[in-house]
Amino acid sequence: MSGAAAASAAAAAAEVTLGDVRAALEAATIWCPDPAVRVAGVVAADLMSDVLVDARPGFVLVTGLTTVQAIRTAAIADLAAVVFVRGKAVPPEVAALAREMNVPAFASPRSLFDAAGALHAAIGHPAAAGRGLEG
Amino acid sequence: MTESAFVHAYEVAGADFVNAGRASTAIKETLKHMGLAPALIRRVAIAAYEAEMNAVMYATRATMTLRVTPAAVTIDVRDEGPGIPDLALAMQEGYSTATAEMREMGFGAGMGLPNIRRNTDALDIASQVGRGTTVMMTVRVS
Ligand SMILES: Nc1ncnc2c1ncn2[C@@H]1O[C@H](COP(=O)(O)OP(=O)(O)OP(=O)(O)O)[C@@H](O)[C@H]1O
Ligand SMILES: [Mg+2]
Repeated sequence: MSGAAAASAAAAAAEVTLGDVRAALEAATIWCPDPAVRVAGVVAADLMSDVLVDARPGFVLVTGLTTVQAIRTAAIADLAAVVFVRGKAVPPEVAALAREMNVPAFASPRSLFDAAGALHAAIGHPAAAGRGLEG
Repeated sequence: MTESAFVHAYEVAGADFVNAGRASTAIKETLKHMGLAPALIRRVAIAAYEAEMNAVMYATRATMTLRVTPAAVTIDVRDEGPGIPDLALAMQEGYSTATAEMREMGFGAGMGLPNIRRNTDALDIASQVGRGTTVMMTVRVS
């Protein structure tokens, strides 16, 4: 584990979709052309290097960091989506970049802790599935 | 011996957090068009992005040079900046001199350089205090 804020859970079976994540987090869609895309796991972090260490391709990034760098980090690491938490206003340039780079993005009113907990419950325990789909 | 090499240079501006990461994104796109394996592209992109972010955070300016041959992808990030006084310390996981402002922007885990090492087959860093740093990264293709 590289950072206190980072945690990841692997999808027990790759059956959870972006639509399921959106529903579990009561999130608003910022950009999501295909809610049926499968999710491989979750990484919750506010420091981008921790994301780049912990996330595997197809993971969803849950973060309180509402900057363009969250979108760029997701694109660099082949992540499935970014969920911005804490009901923070997502700046228009961040939404625009999500669209431009085709990175699905959502905004949830939940805290980082609650969002990670809800996804952990929905997706399963990492010990049950190892580290998930290795890149 | 280098007949089939592809070389391209990208300019990076220090403290420009709006455009930070663009060069690495462009490099990733280029490698995709070349048809390299996704897992290899991802390793190169992560290493490039970490090195680019370091240049943006700590240096005045930098040039990133991508070089692709059938055998390897290499990226050199040559910056003009403060240099790294203690390289062994900088390479340690968790060591960071990032400011509070940089942390608010999502940087300063102290994981960038270790993450570059993890994702590359060869990493060389040359640094001169007061002048700048050159990070040379290689990922083998085969
Ligand atoms: N190009 C550079 N010029 C000057 N100092 C650098 C440069 N790159 C890294 N450093 C120094 O090395 C330290 C460690 O770098 P590293 O990339 O591992 O972590 P970080 O940038 O502090 O945080 P993170 O990369 O996790 O966001 C930096 O905090 C900085 O002091
Ligand atoms: Mg760094």
